[in-house]
Amino acid sequence: MSETVTLARKELLDLRRDRVVWIVVGTLGLAVVLSVVVASLDFRAQLADYEAYAAQVKASGSGVTPAAPQLFPLQLLRGGMEYVEVLGALFALMIGYGAIAKERSRGTVDLLLTRARSGTSIVMGKLLGLAILWAVIMAAVVVTALASVALIGGSTIGWHEVGRMALAGAAGWVYAVFWSAIAVAVTTLTRNSTAALLTLLVLWLVIVLVIPQIGDTMDPDNQVPGGLFKALAIAKPDEHAVLHHFATYESLRNGLEVSSLSKLYERFTFATLGIKDIYNGQSLAVVWDGTFRYVIGALTLTGAALTFAAASGRRIHTLRRS
Amino acid sequence: MSTAITAARHELLASVRAKAPYALVAAFLGMVAASTFIGWRTTVTVTAIYERVLADGYTTQPNPFTDVSPLYYVRNTVIYVLLIGTLMAATLGVQSALRDRKAETAALIGTRPVDARALRTGRLLGLGILLAALVAVTEVVTWVSVGLLVGGPLDAAETLRIAGFGVLTWLLLVGFAGVGMLSGRLLHRERTALLAPVVVWAVIAFVVPQLGTAARPVSLLNPVPLPAQDSGAFAWLSHALAPIAITERFKTASGALLGSPTTGSAAASALLVALFAAVALTAAILVRGTRTQGVPHE
Repeated sequence: MSETVTLARKELLDLRRDRVVWIVVGTLGLAVVLSVVVASLDFRAQLADYEAYAAQVKASGSGVTPAAPQLFPLQLLRGGMEYVEVLGALFALMIGYGAIAKERSRGTVDLLLTRARSGTSIVMGKLLGLAILWAVIMAAVVVTALASVALIGGSTIGWHEVGRMALAGAAGWVYAVFWSAIAVAVTTLTRNSTAALLTLLVLWLVIVLVIPQIGDTMDPDNQVPGGLFKALAIAKPDEHAVLHHFATYESLRNGLEVSSLSKLYERFTFATLGIKDIYNGQSLAVVWDGTFRYVIGALTLTGAALTFAAASGRRIHTLRRS
Repeated sequence: MSTAITAARHELLASVRAKAPYALVAAFLGMVAASTFIGWRTTVTVTAIYERVLADGYTTQPNPFTDVSPLYYVRNTVIYVLLIGTLMAATLGVQSALRDRKAETAALIGTRPVDARALRTGRLLGLGILLAALVAVTEVVTWVSVGLLVGGPLDAAETLRIAGFGVLTWLLLVGFAGVGMLSGRLLHRERTALLAPVVVWAVIAFVVPQLGTAARPVSLLNPVPLPAQDSGAFAWLSHALAPIAITERFKTASGALLGSPTTGSAAASALLVALFAAVALTAAILVRGTRTQGVPHE
C-alpha cells in the first residue's frame, strides 16, 4: 500500500510540472465561464423580448400578460457541464496516457520496478495520483462554476446550489477517473505508444460523441428546426400519448444512449442541477429516484475500468523499451 | 517538382503502411456507411409518427417530410465528416509530420540538398491523394446505399450533388490535415501534437458557434440547423465569427447540396471552407519548425 502511495506522490509531482495539466485546467475553467456568459446573455435577451412583448400586450389593452421567463441559476451551467463531458473525458485520456507513456519514452519502467513489488502497484499508484489530480481539477471547476453563476449570471448562491454543484463535481470526478483508468490500461497493454494514443482517441470519439449523437439524431423531436412536435403544434401530453405507440423505437434509442458513460454522467448531472426541466425544483430524493440506475451504471463501469487497469499492471513488461 | 512528387509517393506509401490510424479510418468509413441507414430509419419512424398524429386529430399541419430528397437520408454523414473525418485527417497530418522525427531521419534529410517547402508540399499532396481516395470510397458507399433504400440508381442531378459534397468534404479534410501537420512540426511531444488540433477542432466546432447562437455545445452535432438568434449581442457575434465557424459553414453548404434545411448562404459557406483549406495548407507549407527536429518524447 505504501509503495502505491509513494508512486502516487511521485506521479503528482510529475503532473504538477506537466504543462498539459495546466492547459487542461485553464481550458476547462474558460469553457465553463464562457458557457455561463453565453447563457446569461441568452437569458437577458429572452427577458428583453418578454418585456417588449408584455409592453405590446399592455398597449393593446389586453389584461392577460404571459408569464415572465424565470432564471434558475444552475441552468446557466448546461453548456459548461457539456464541456466537462466532452473535453474533460479527452483531457483525462491524454493525461492518463502521458502518465504511462512517459515511462516508456524515458525507459524508466525498470527503475520503477526496483521500488514497487509489481506492475499492478505502479499502475494503481499512477491511478491514485490521477484520481487526486482530478479531484483538485473538479473542485476548481465547481468553484469556477459557482463564482461565474454569481458574478456573471448575477444570481444568489446558497447552500442548495453549493450542494447540488458539489454532487455534479463528484459525478465529474468519477467520470474522469473512468477515462483515466481506461487510458492507463490501454497504454500499458499496447506496445506502440502511437497506437495507444489513437485507440484512446477512437474510444473518446465513439463513447463521448458518436453514440450520444446517434441517439440524439434519432430523436423524433430533433428532426426539424425548433422541434417536430412544436412545428406540428402538439401539446406535451399529446406528444407523450403519440410516442407511447413507438415505445420499441424509443427503447432502442434510449438503450443506445445509456450504453455510453457520457450520457449516464450527463443525465445524472442535468437532473441534479435542475437543467432537465422535469427535475428543476425537485428534491434530491426525487432526483435520486429518477437517476439511481444511471449512478449504478456509471459506478459499475468505473469499477470495471479500474479492475481492467489493475489487471493491465501484470503486463507491465509491454512498457519496456525493446 | 520531382522532390514534391517523390515526397508525395513516399507519404502515400508510409501512410498506408502505418497501421495506427487504421482504427480512425475504419470508424469513419463504418459510420458513413451506417449513417444512411440511421437517416432512413429515423425518417420512416417520424413519418409513421406524423401519420399517427394526423389520424388522432392532433394536427392539421402538412407533413414536413413530404417531398424530401432521397439525399436527406445521408444528412448524418455531414456530422460524421466533421466529427470523425476531421480528426482522422488531423491525425494523419500529425503522424506525417512526426514520422521522420520518430524514425530519427529528420536530421539525415536535413543534410541533403532538399527544398524543405517542396518536401512539405509533397507530403501534403500525398495526404491529399489519400484523403481523396477515402472520400471517394465514402461517396460510392453513400450512392449505393441510398440507391438500395430508394429502390433504384440515383439520377444525374443527385449523383452530382453527392460528388459536390465529396469535393467539399475533401476540402475540409485537407484543411485539417494541414492543421495536424503544422501541429506535428511545431510541438515537441506526440501527445500535445495530437491534442492541439483536437482542441482547435473543439473550439471551431463548439465554442465559436456557441458564441454566435447560444446553442448547447452538443446540440451542434445535430444535422438539423439551429434557429438563428437575432438579438443584439448574438446577431453581432454570429456575423463576426461566421468565417471562423468552419464546421457550421460546412454544415450549411453540405445541407444545401444534400437537400436538407439550412440557414445562411451555401455558396459563401463553401467558399469559406475552401479558404480555410487554402490557409491551413499554406501555413503547413510555409511555417518552419526548426526547433522540433528531434525524436518526440512524452
